[in-house]
Amino acid sequence: MTTTPPSPTMPTSKTLPPSTLDVSVGPQHPGSGHCRILIRVDGDYIVSADPDIGYVHRGCEKIAEYRNYVSNIPHLERPCIADAIHLNWGYVLPIEELQGVEVPPRGKYISTIAAEMNRIMSHLYGLAIMQGVFSGHTTIFMWGFGDRDLFIELAEMLTGARLTYSFLAPGGPRRDLPFGFEDRLNKLLDYFEKRIPEYDRMFFQNPTIVARAKGVGVLKREDAIKLGVVGPVLRASGVEYDVRKVEPYGAYDDLEFEIPTFEEGDSYSRFLVRFEEMKQSVRIIRQALKKMPKGPIARKAPLVAPEGEATGRVESSRGEIAYMVMGDNSDKPYRVKIMNGSFRNLIALPFLLRNVHVADMPIIYGSLDYWPVEADR
Amino acid sequence: MTQATLSREEALVGQLKAQFPEAIKAAKIDRTHRITVVFEKDHLLNIAAFMRNKLGFDHVKGVAGVDFPTHKKIEVLYFAGSYSRPEVQDFIVILKTELPRDKPAIASVVTIWESAHYHERETFEMFGVEFEGHPDLRKLLTLDNWEGPPPMLKDVKFPEMGQR
Repeated sequence: MTTTPPSPTMPTSKTLPPSTLDVSVGPQHPGSGHCRILIRVDGDYIVSADPDIGYVHRGCEKIAEYRNYVSNIPHLERPCIADAIHLNWGYVLPIEELQGVEVPPRGKYISTIAAEMNRIMSHLYGLAIMQGVFSGHTTIFMWGFGDRDLFIELAEMLTGARLTYSFLAPGGPRRDLPFGFEDRLNKLLDYFEKRIPEYDRMFFQNPTIVARAKGVGVLKREDAIKLGVVGPVLRASGVEYDVRKVEPYGAYDDLEFEIPTFEEGDSYSRFLVRFEEMKQSVRIIRQALKKMPKGPIARKAPLVAPEGEATGRVESSRGEIAYMVMGDNSDKPYRVKIMNGSFRNLIALPFLLRNVHVADMPIIYGSLDYWPVEADR
Repeated sequence: MTQATLSREEALVGQLKAQFPEAIKAAKIDRTHRITVVFEKDHLLNIAAFMRNKLGFDHVKGVAGVDFPTHKKIEVLYFAGSYSRPEVQDFIVILKTELPRDKPAIASVVTIWESAHYHERETFEMFGVEFEGHPDLRKLLTLDNWEGPPPMLKDVKFPEMGQR
């Protein structure tokens, strides 16, 4: 039987040659976590893809209805341990709104510093695993993880935990900056700024990476808007949208920073957006350390939230994360709805995995920085 | 009140109310950037199309179900936002409607907001809400062998998780 060469356009079911084959990628996925992508291949082209998620679904929203507001914090930040502060902050904001509690300025600055450190950590993780390992670049895996650990050590100094901090409660952060923290953070940022050009040379200027990622998995601006993707994926497609700018929270109103955007919408520009964001995070932390006001860090918040609903959102490393919290005059939420970046970016996966090489799948998947546990909740 | 003194939120609510005097039961400004619109479920597609085409709300951030067993209703909430129109980028408009609890069904907005695809699948699975016209309405997050009722309903409890 002769096989027809793959058509340059998306084949419909009528034109499909009988040579297609269904392959299940995952759920034991090398490196990404726990999700399965059912792909239909024709030769070495992917014809269509159907993400099958839910392998790490824990019913976070259900569990949240049976625990009080504060004891919800640790388990609601678990879905994305690389980005715990943002998941924590997004949950705390609507509760503060319901209770009418305002965090003191110093508390806002500390939260902002912790969040931007977390963004660097998360993007370094993304650079190391999702972009480095998935494109077969193991050096960047070592570099990224090595430097990420330096930030983790400082996060441990600040919060007492390496990854899952439970640092923010309604009313403000749990601790003030420890003695000597500012110096160590400044030194670390000096070091990290020196590393940035090295990362650039080693990974982003690497001809192999450029050849493998440029022009692969192009998400055009209008498609990105239509699919409602968020975060770096959206900004790599030329939409300037960042919650830190459109609806500033924390101390972002007082701080100067830019929103890196790219027009191309390919995997390479999605890599680059995160890289540029790390530079902006360094800038934000430096300003925040300088401008940090003195005073109390937190206010006492009630344990009960009144009846009503509030929606709060922050810009997490994987994009906008919004929480809707519905209170009913008790110490437990009536309903918590989590709208996070990974789940909203999932729709881009079947969209991009059409008429691409099987070998491009890890690059596209990695460029979305998809975190299965966050999407499954 | 003249046009100049209207806040952006008030202007938006005014536009929606003027366009759908019957369909919209209540529209309230929760705070800056947030509007909640309560509407009759049959008018969902008209309101969604108007919001996308005329007001620039081009995507939904999420679709949430909320179960109220004592009132025998399930509320469905659509969180609409805008990327393409800078004036309303900071808004989240929450479209809220209620469905009967014994047979919750509503039209799917996928034809208007494609971004609702997975969110509707999730709400279908977790609350049993039928989204009529959804191209691919099937289970998403629960295990393949999960046979029970929609797990997010208030009367479904998991005692082994301490839920009583």
